[in-house]
Amino acid sequence: MFKKLKYDHYGYLFVAPFIIGFLIFGLYPVLNTVFLSFTNRTLMSRTYDITWFKNFQLLFADKTFITAVTNTWELWLMNFIPQMGIAFLLSVLFTNLRLKIKGVGVWRMIFYMPNLMMASAIAALFFSLFSYYGPVNQFIVRSGFVAEAIDFIRKPAWMRGLVVFIQWWMWFGQTTILLMAAMTAIPVSLYEAALVDGAGSLQMFWHITLPLIKPVMIYILVTSLVGGMQMFDIPYLLTDGRGSPGNSILTNTINMYMKFHSSKGHIGAASAVGLVVFLMTSIVALLIFFLLREKHDEPVKNGNREMKR
Amino acid sequence: MNLSNHTLTNIQRFFVYLFLAVLVVITLIPVWLLIVNATRSTLEIQQGISLLPSKYLMTNYRILLSKGLDLPLGFMNSLTIAVLTTVITVYFSMLTAYGLVVYNFKGRKTLYNLMLVLVMIPMQLSIIGFYQWMSKLGLTDSYASLILPGIASAGSVFFAKQYLESIMIQDLIDAGRIDGASELSIFHKIMLPIAVPGMFTLGIFAFVASWNNFFNAFILITTRNKYTLPMLIQTLRGDVYRHEYGAIYLGLAASVVPIIIIYFLFSRYIVNGISMGAVKE
Amino acid sequence: MKRLLVLLSMLLVVSMLLSACGAPAAEPPAVEEPAAEEPAAEEPAAEEPAAEEPAATEKTVLDVWSFTNEILTMAVAFEKTHPDVDVVYTMIPMTNGEYQTKLMATLGTDEVPDVVALEAAFVKSYVESDFLADIGDLQHYADELEMYPFVYEVGMADGVHKAYAYQATPGALFYRRSLAKEYFGTDDPVEMQELLGDFDKYIAAAEVIKEKSGGDTYMVSSNGDFMNLFYANREQPWVVDGKLTVDPMVERMVETVKLFRDNGYESRATQWQEGWFAGMNDTLADAAGNPKKVFSYFLPTWGLPYVLEPNSTSADGSSTTKGDWAVIEGPLPYQWGGTWLGVMDETDKMDLAKEFIRFCTLDEENLTNWATGVYTNEYLKAIDPNVPDDQYQAAGDFVGSQVVVEKITASFDDSAMSEFLGGQNSYGGFAAAAPSVNARLMQGSDDAITRALNDPLNSYLEGTVTLDEMWDLWKDAVRNEFPDLIID
Repeated sequence: MFKKLKYDHYGYLFVAPFIIGFLIFGLYPVLNTVFLSFTNRTLMSRTYDITWFKNFQLLFADKTFITAVTNTWELWLMNFIPQMGIAFLLSVLFTNLRLKIKGVGVWRMIFYMPNLMMASAIAALFFSLFSYYGPVNQFIVRSGFVAEAIDFIRKPAWMRGLVVFIQWWMWFGQTTILLMAAMTAIPVSLYEAALVDGAGSLQMFWHITLPLIKPVMIYILVTSLVGGMQMFDIPYLLTDGRGSPGNSILTNTINMYMKFHSSKGHIGAASAVGLVVFLMTSIVALLIFFLLREKHDEPVKNGNREMKR
Repeated sequence: MNLSNHTLTNIQRFFVYLFLAVLVVITLIPVWLLIVNATRSTLEIQQGISLLPSKYLMTNYRILLSKGLDLPLGFMNSLTIAVLTTVITVYFSMLTAYGLVVYNFKGRKTLYNLMLVLVMIPMQLSIIGFYQWMSKLGLTDSYASLILPGIASAGSVFFAKQYLESIMIQDLIDAGRIDGASELSIFHKIMLPIAVPGMFTLGIFAFVASWNNFFNAFILITTRNKYTLPMLIQTLRGDVYRHEYGAIYLGLAASVVPIIIIYFLFSRYIVNGISMGAVKE
Repeated sequence: MKRLLVLLSMLLVVSMLLSACGAPAAEPPAVEEPAAEEPAAEEPAAEEPAAEEPAATEKTVLDVWSFTNEILTMAVAFEKTHPDVDVVYTMIPMTNGEYQTKLMATLGTDEVPDVVALEAAFVKSYVESDFLADIGDLQHYADELEMYPFVYEVGMADGVHKAYAYQATPGALFYRRSLAKEYFGTDDPVEMQELLGDFDKYIAAAEVIKEKSGGDTYMVSSNGDFMNLFYANREQPWVVDGKLTVDPMVERMVETVKLFRDNGYESRATQWQEGWFAGMNDTLADAAGNPKKVFSYFLPTWGLPYVLEPNSTSADGSSTTKGDWAVIEGPLPYQWGGTWLGVMDETDKMDLAKEFIRFCTLDEENLTNWATGVYTNEYLKAIDPNVPDDQYQAAGDFVGSQVVVEKITASFDDSAMSEFLGGQNSYGGFAAAAPSVNARLMQGSDDAITRALNDPLNSYLEGTVTLDEMWDLWKDAVRNEFPDLIID
């Protein structure tokens, strides 16, 4: 105990590079954004005024902003829940000792591949697939499923579905990797002990697996939330960069991008959007942490390696 | 009794493999379509999609060359940036996470919470501010502005901390101290070697993120012979009125293949056996 | 140790805050050292074969940014007549708005280029901004060369000239000769222009085609084709005294588009997608596989060599419409696209930059060479061997000077493009359309405002919203992008 105290201030040494790095590279943009959100600055003019809360007032009165926020939440949830579902399913299947699935490494590698693709290429590809004269339409009409071609691109439900599908496709592999990492760490002895006590698979899953992979799940949940709130590439590139059709795939970041990319470059208004999204994300994330926290949170001395010894 | 258990397991396995196969098809079809497009001519691509490759691979390659695109150079640039960014990100994230995990110093919790919050800043917006700031520092058009921010990557620190928390062995650290080793050398000689699997996982994620990151590099780099591979491919879209789609897809395929190879090579180091949870007994 | 760190961090924060506050004040333009930059792809022009090259005079560097490689050709030609200048050419694509983003990021900093290329969609907003320099002293060249008014009008704001263009991009109507003969009994351009001379006639013709072909031939491929026409013929701009105004022509456009959709006069293709191209080479088929044809396309000058001609033959070569087209002015004059050049105010090479713009856009010899295909790859490589293999300018680009146009029109009588048009001189066709084009109402916010209408319009055509709802949706979208605009 005494020894530990003596060394504690070394912590500062270790985290110093991070702090310095952040101060140099991260702080200015953040402060800049906050400052800008209180102005009416546009990129195309040299002068601007401080308008205090006007940007925020306009924002909350704006239907489009509300739509963007709700869309982003919906699109994220619709993608995340199946993603977790499949990732869980796969992790459980792959780590199941009884089933002994072969070639896990290969399967995992294949499922991770979509994550390596460039969003622009995928979006362009799917757009071609589902266009009015594209192959999907040709297929469904010629095989008699529908009488007439469907204008997928103009139908909100279909486009949302596509966005959700593509996001799911791109990320479920990575989630599986992370979940598997967590699951393979759980000592087999725990399961064996439970079996001896007469526990069934579901009970083991509920009482052993889930609690022990909680830290990873929190990590996945939070990083996915942050990424989801900032969802940009796919909805932007899939249709016309404005969230068509009918603002159905308009997300927070697209909204923000439209503001600062418009002919005058309203960077003040865009910054306000950025700030609000940031605050919203932080509040929800911190809530998640609070609700799911471990009861004790001191520095860990001997993780579960101790058990393996 | 044993026999029927065995059969049951086999039936289950059959369905599992079936399910996996379907999933693989769904996963790979878009990738396949992309690769097929690299072998088709622009006209063919503009006029439809095909599952079967065509014969224009060499033509597309010649088009790429004729545009004066130095693909190998772009590839080396991307590689340099990605490797350096990965190394810096992984090292400094581990360093910082170690500090957070092992030492209980004042402000530790605040710092950690602050870091979590940092993860949530939308990137597309801060890019203009970042660019103007880099301009003031004189760091535009240089790789430094792309690589050095890796020192302070909140997301990676987050991951590293979870990981280290579970593999940490205090006794080893104490032993090191008794032997008179400095804190830094304990970190380098004792902890890092144990943390290798986690480092590889983090490394792969960081590498892919850097390799595919087109937007940041694009805003910050101007000189053509510093262009990364995705940037070079994008220049193919520069002819507003006549996109050479065949060559574009070939370029896209070319930029994906290296990552796949790298992933293949390193995938066996990651994941298996790394612990992410904290087991309290 | 800890205290030192804290102190350092605080210093950093304070200095950053100070510099952040310093940002609003106008930055004094930094003086750039001349040949400081690394030459990108360009090498200095061919060296003289003299023995010991003194190399005392360093070349002046001119930074030019563009979004295509077109102007690179002119840059190389410029180096020929100005051997002491090294043009550093940077091409940044604008497919997903990258060019605009990058340009916007550099405004007001040192990184800004000297000369900048601006496309029709965003040229006006730059012209209206504080960042382009006044180059009005070049106007007398424009007058001498009888530049089409709409070309330099686009480059003007509040009476100040800030941008010029080498091209003029009037729009025209291309129709299929064989289909014209079949449905109208003639394929002669003069007669067709009579027949399709205004929009009412155009609509009437659409009905005729639909009836006679039993719905197998569409008048036009996509609604998008003719929306430009209506926008170009408004009486009022979109923004009057800071207020959003809807000109009656726009309402008429909406009615027409609905009419075309309801009556099946258009094939519901999206511009720049497969269906749109398929109609150009007769491989268009509906989802069930029934073949369909398209009678006409609205395309501007560059649409002929870059869009229609290459796509007039299907990818597998089995179907072609070469020689089966003709061009007329069409029901209404309009313009589409085009590239302008301007000088950034921050530059410290104002005279050189202006000279570059004069050369590219207002020099008779350059314009003539450009339009008649003198700039072949061999020609360019003779000046600068590092030019890429596919860099050249084919003949046929429609330039902005009436003097030059009149001079060279006849030379296109037997050109490849004329063959494509069944013997009609394409240049002459455009020359006829150009004078009536008017760009006086163009404003920087136009592009965003019209784009905001596309999606609500589509919903209206689908029937998912009513007309009033459509206008409301559009207004919401505009409000979103232009917080300062007054909209009722």
